[in-house]
Amino acid sequence: MAEMLKVENLKKAFGKNEVLTGIDGVVNSGQVIVVIGPSGGGKSTFLRCLNLLETPTSGKIAFEGQDLTQLPEKKLDDIREKMGMVFQSFNLFSNMNVMDNLTLAPKRVKGEDEAQAQKKALELLERVGLAEKKDAFPESLSGGQQQRVAIARALAMDPDVMLFDEPTSALDPEMVGEVLKVMQDLAHSGMTMVVVTHEMGFARQVADEVWFMDGGDIAEKGTPEQIFEHPQNERTKDFLSRILAQ
Amino acid sequence: MKLKKISLWLTALVCLLGLFAVFAPSGQVQAADNSLQRVKDKGTLVMGTSPDYPPYEFITKVNGKNQVVGMDVDVAHKIAKDLGVKLVIKQMDFDSLLVALETHKVDMVLSAMTPTEERKQSVDFSQVYYDAGQAIIVRKQDLHLYKDKNSFAGKQVGVQTGSLQQDLAKKQMKKSHLKALTKVTDLILSLETNKIDGIVAEDAVAQAYVANDTRLAKIDAKFDLGGDENGTAIAFAKNSGTLVNAVNHSIDQIKQQKLTKQYINNAGKYMATNTENKSMFNYWSYFAKGVGYTLLITAISVVIGIILGTMFALGRMSRKAILHYPAVWYIEFVRGTPLMIQVMFVYFGVGLLWNNIPAFFAGVVAVALNSAAYVAEYIRGGIDSVPVGQVEAARSLGMSQRDTMQTIVLPQAIKIIWPSLGNEFISLIKESSIVSIIGVTDLIYQLRAVQAATYRGVAPIAVAMVLYFIMTFTLSRILNHAERKMQHG
Ligand SMILES: Nc1ncnc2c1ncn2[C@@H]1O[C@H](COP(=O)(O)OP(=O)(O)OP(=O)(O)O)[C@@H](O)[C@H]1O
Ligand SMILES: [Mg+2]
Repeated sequence: MAEMLKVENLKKAFGKNEVLTGIDGVVNSGQVIVVIGPSGGGKSTFLRCLNLLETPTSGKIAFEGQDLTQLPEKKLDDIREKMGMVFQSFNLFSNMNVMDNLTLAPKRVKGEDEAQAQKKALELLERVGLAEKKDAFPESLSGGQQQRVAIARALAMDPDVMLFDEPTSALDPEMVGEVLKVMQDLAHSGMTMVVVTHEMGFARQVADEVWFMDGGDIAEKGTPEQIFEHPQNERTKDFLSRILAQ
Repeated sequence: MKLKKISLWLTALVCLLGLFAVFAPSGQVQAADNSLQRVKDKGTLVMGTSPDYPPYEFITKVNGKNQVVGMDVDVAHKIAKDLGVKLVIKQMDFDSLLVALETHKVDMVLSAMTPTEERKQSVDFSQVYYDAGQAIIVRKQDLHLYKDKNSFAGKQVGVQTGSLQQDLAKKQMKKSHLKALTKVTDLILSLETNKIDGIVAEDAVAQAYVANDTRLAKIDAKFDLGGDENGTAIAFAKNSGTLVNAVNHSIDQIKQQKLTKQYINNAGKYMATNTENKSMFNYWSYFAKGVGYTLLITAISVVIGIILGTMFALGRMSRKAILHYPAVWYIEFVRGTPLMIQVMFVYFGVGLLWNNIPAFFAGVVAVALNSAAYVAEYIRGGIDSVPVGQVEAARSLGMSQRDTMQTIVLPQAIKIIWPSLGNEFISLIKESSIVSIIGVTDLIYQLRAVQAATYRGVAPIAVAMVLYFIMTFTLSRILNHAERKMQHG
């Protein structure tokens, strides 16, 4: 399996607040990594460092063999294009309808023509079950629908890896399933994914590896079976017992 | 960090003072006297005047066109003819006339100006070309109450700001309460509405108003006048000996041939045609021109203001100090000073470097630069209120900062900014009226002109007010309509 992302001793501080204290990890092509951990542990910061939305303080992030921390801002746009990102709060462009949300970046960044971009967008909307909403504006969609559109929007760029930051946390419980279903299908299609989530069921079923993050570093890594059935680290055990008690 | 900020502010202050230092000394430079040669070389003699003072200078319609006429204009024509050059008339507020001389915006000032000692400190004067006594204008029904200046103890007396009459009244009517206004027309209005009890004015002026308004009468003021304190002369920039000599020569002829009498008769004829029909309809072209200019100034200023304002807003939001701090200074400074001073600074201050800066251009530039600072803050507020998630989503798709700004942030910000931009547009219609002080012929300026021409105070004000309202009301309807369309589109 080819290495897609390799993180070495990644550190990030906001002023004096050291949020990431040295993270190491490898994401192989086609793998699904699920990152779990307590609130404030640095999961979002880690994810945002991966596509340089946040600039790391030190360390290396190798993406397909290229060290991103050494690249100038202009080159980073080319890199981000290959890393799709899905946010907790969807962040659909509120000044555009669904179709334009999906075709904007392919046209602007990849130079696709209108017809080409629309054709692909329709396919993707079909795939997330929202083809009939192509002319709707984001504000008229439910949270679950918005998040599915957001996933389709990221996929429209044909990314090599997809980053998810708590994609279901802002959803009403009855909508969580529809989004997880889309993500599950995506995983089965072979997409490389890094998913921050509190959905332990999803982690168990879909993850190839689970990373437990706490206090700015990865306390424990392993298969779902290892992490959920036989956690080694005290912090992991503590976290899981609290989560499962809910 | 704090120290750095303070030092940046200090730099800003020093730069600003430097700016003034550049302008300040140039006023005092004593060049060789080439005043006459300069006028002959350029072939024009530029006269500055405040045409609201019949019979000396006022505006009337000649062959359907508004024109400055009056005794002073005839005198100036005679001088220009003697010098073999073309006369150009520049109109501005009386208060601005001497500054215009110092900054070489005009070659001479003929505006019924009396050569007082104070004025002689800053400008040169020709010999006196016309001598008139001083009168006090009163309401006709009160005529029996007054004999001369001493009858006004404890009364309210009006004078024109910066005029000889103001000086005289200050010194010789110590028991009266003085009220100074810029325009004679405003003084007349104050008198007719009982706000003041008398107006000290030159006899010829008093005569003009009394002859045209049956509610008014005049008495002799009986001031103690010494020498030159009585009469009107032509003002020049300091150190203009050669030009003054040439002009004195023309004045000699005017006196010998008793031309002033003929000039005053001419003025009287114009005044009579002016007052033949005092209906506001007769002056619609004045108002139309004023509305046109007001709209033009506003429209140009809005466009420039939005373009510059966007640049300043982006500058202020930039993380680069070289863009950020100048934008911050500019915005704070402009918002912290009155538009009126900015208009005067651009016209007179910048005019020191660029001599022939047209008043209209200076006015538009000042208003646009002023508006840009306010627009910048609206735009910054609008951009700030676009959620960061929108930007992050765009960036995560590989879109550049510029693309993100253009396709995501600005379109969303515009919706938020639009109402404030509309308000700015509307308030510019009103605030641009300040450019009338440098002689831009906007609606306020035309209102003054109609007042001077018709001897009517209130009616022109009412017409101008209604016109302003029609403009702002129509505009706000249009903007509301556009806003509704945008929110649904
Ligand atoms: N832009 C920022 N500026 C300063 N501090 C920040 C910033 N972003 C995050 N932090 C801090 O970094 C720490 C980790 O935050 P992060 O959002 O990465 O945690 P998380 O694991 O994603 O938590 P959650 O489960 O609540 O989303 C927190 O203490 C947070 O206050
Ligand atoms: Mg988070």
